[in-house]
Amino acid sequence: MSTAKLKVLNRYHVIFLAQSIMIGTGILSLPQKMSSMGYTQWLVPIIFGITATLTLWPMVWLCSKYPTEHLFRINEILLGKIIGKAINLFFVLQFIVFSAGIISNYMHLIQSTALPEQTITLPVICLLLLLIYIVSGGIKSIARFCMMTFFITIPMVYFTRWAIEKGEFSHLLPLFNFNAKQFFDAFKDGYLSILGYELIMIYFPYIMDQKKAFRHSLIGIWISIFLCFFTTVVSVIYYSEWQLKNVEFSVLNLFKAGEFTFVERIDIIGITLWVFLILSSVTAYVWCAKIGIDSVFKKKKIYILYLIAAIIFVIVKMPFSREVQEKLFAASNYIGYMLIIWPVILMLVYAVRKKKVEQ
Amino acid sequence: MRGIPEQIVAHLKQELNEIDDVKLKMMATEEGDVTVIYFSSLIEKMTLQTMVIIPLANNLKQIHQMSQYIDAKDVKDVIKRLNAGQTLLFFHETNALVSMDTFSAPIRAITNTETESTVIGPQDAFTESLETNISLVRRRIQSSMLKNENRIVGSEANIKISIVYMDNIVNDENLKNLRNRIDQVNYPLFTDISVLKQLIEDNPLSPFPQYYMTVRPDSVCRYLLDGRIVVFMDNSQLAIVCPTSFFEMFVSIEDYYNRWTTASLLRMLRFFGFFITIMITPMYISALTFHPEILPYELLLSLQESRSKVPFPPLIEVLFIELIIEVLREAGSRMPAKVGQTIGIVGGIVIGTAAVEAGLLSNILIVLVATSALLSFLPPIFLMSNTSRFIRYIFILSAGLFGLFGQMLAFAWLIHHLLSLKSLGTNYMTPGIPRKPTDLLDNVIRFPLKYLTKKTGISRTQTKK
Repeated sequence: MSTAKLKVLNRYHVIFLAQSIMIGTGILSLPQKMSSMGYTQWLVPIIFGITATLTLWPMVWLCSKYPTEHLFRINEILLGKIIGKAINLFFVLQFIVFSAGIISNYMHLIQSTALPEQTITLPVICLLLLLIYIVSGGIKSIARFCMMTFFITIPMVYFTRWAIEKGEFSHLLPLFNFNAKQFFDAFKDGYLSILGYELIMIYFPYIMDQKKAFRHSLIGIWISIFLCFFTTVVSVIYYSEWQLKNVEFSVLNLFKAGEFTFVERIDIIGITLWVFLILSSVTAYVWCAKIGIDSVFKKKKIYILYLIAAIIFVIVKMPFSREVQEKLFAASNYIGYMLIIWPVILMLVYAVRKKKVEQ
Repeated sequence: MRGIPEQIVAHLKQELNEIDDVKLKMMATEEGDVTVIYFSSLIEKMTLQTMVIIPLANNLKQIHQMSQYIDAKDVKDVIKRLNAGQTLLFFHETNALVSMDTFSAPIRAITNTETESTVIGPQDAFTESLETNISLVRRRIQSSMLKNENRIVGSEANIKISIVYMDNIVNDENLKNLRNRIDQVNYPLFTDISVLKQLIEDNPLSPFPQYYMTVRPDSVCRYLLDGRIVVFMDNSQLAIVCPTSFFEMFVSIEDYYNRWTTASLLRMLRFFGFFITIMITPMYISALTFHPEILPYELLLSLQESRSKVPFPPLIEVLFIELIIEVLREAGSRMPAKVGQTIGIVGGIVIGTAAVEAGLLSNILIVLVATSALLSFLPPIFLMSNTSRFIRYIFILSAGLFGLFGQMLAFAWLIHHLLSLKSLGTNYMTPGIPRKPTDLLDNVIRFPLKYLTKKTGISRTQTKK
């Protein structure tokens, strides 16, 4: 494949890829996950943003050293074939489990709110078929889908209007009544919902203007951070501390505060519209997983995509208990954190092996 | 030297066997005998008289000035000329075969547009004659940069088509692309340009029309000056405009004749009407079957009340009435005009009153279905309104399966499908994804004309010259 044909993502694509992959089901329970901080949690998204900015830099730096290679190839170049491939497989597995986690969470939510009388088998199959359809269009089609997703779902912000009206602004006063452990817990649990920007290491070679990729990605990240920030602020205003801790999917309940004369439960419309956000993050992860498998086995076959979809289906509909599932997803989350740190390790390897590799 | 004409005549007789409207007429002139060969169905008697018969008798010089010498041995060429309505003259003394352009088959006069009528603006429409259509365009764009290339398509029928574009504005790549596609077409049955359109579209399997089709010369000129390519076909009233975006399927030329406020209002209606028409009846199904809790108590009560006598589930109920409306529309459009009116009245009464009283349908559903049927006729392009009705069935079925979630899945499918469509290699969803920021000025809101001076991004105009 020539590099000219590879480069398909313009700046808007980069911005909205970074933005849309980050917003998934995570944001729905973000206030609950950070509830150990109490009312002061609204500050945490800003810290997330700074952390994301700091960790984005090594990723882009590493990729700019190999402008035509993605992370899976860089792993092989820097760590050797065998270790590289092993780690690549590990990452692929992480991507698949992570996307299965997103879908599983979302489908459980759908089942509990929108489709209480049905099993979710058929809806999951339909979702996966749509997923295959979008992913088979390639990264550009995912990027464009992400872009439309943003514009279709952003009107939902309006539904928080009533929550703001009914809320109590004094909750926002910073009290600093938390200790380091509580902060760490909130950080650890909450950071998960803004994962997604690390995929730039895989779609980096497809970006046209690679010199500005950092800046564009950063714009996307900060749009998402702002949305997270907004959500937590509204939640803090609207809920009491007890509610923050115990109401699951508190963002959905924000929508419930709405009062229209013709629609009673806006949250159902909201949660079904959320499928766009789910698709935009999951498609990107699945595409990356497919790229990973392609590069490990040096084959480009469309059936790999069906295979990935089948694995996701099995994980989502696993006959194990919900606890085993939760454990699996939690494990994949920790690997997700590892992926954020990974480029720093690779940077060190690069520094050590620079001369050897360049030969 | 008499052998050759007989040979030709023999050939012709063999080729033109059993065609009664071929006329061979022998005439004596100053230069000896002349055989006149022509198709009487393609040439009017008056034209023949004034252009051939009278000059042959009186003024042979005029004949020689106006005619073209052709090779008599090339029988195929001879036949082609005859088929194109030319008159052939064979001079027995000099052995010369000449042809004269006398094609004058009856054509329809230029009339008002019936399919795309407007209140303000020019009222003339294209006719079935290729030359008339091009003259209608040339009358509006008086520039030597307006080029037209003629081609022949259809292996049996030899239909003439014409590719028209502004040489200084059009994108060369688009033009090359279109020429290639037309040259690769291998299909015998061209009865209308719609057939050609389906053959040269980017994705023939998609339910969406990817090229704009119009019968309005002013609309065509507007697109030509924006850098699009227009294709005409002989014997077809419609013209194809390509490339076009999804959004332009909702643009009527009258928008530019109205004031910007009115135009914007109507455009918003058409554009959002498309999304409302595909969502409104599925919403009824989802709300009643899966999520009755999203409706306020009073509304739910009145809905249940009106549905109390209906024995079917909402999905069947909706499909039933949607199909009836479809049948009514189809029956009305194929009927002779005088009967059509009766169909409308009968259908209206049967559906509006009788079905509800019989307990087959609920009152509220009739209101919703009627609204969505009306909304589906808003797009100025008839093909688009057909599409919106087709898409609605997908939404109805998915709503019947998974309620609102199914609807949103179908919506995600629709968005992705639209995003992946192309029109002559250009994205169909422009300016949903703007190619140029100025495109947004002529989008759902039509800004005052003063601001609409830039060419749109979709035509990718060249900068040469």
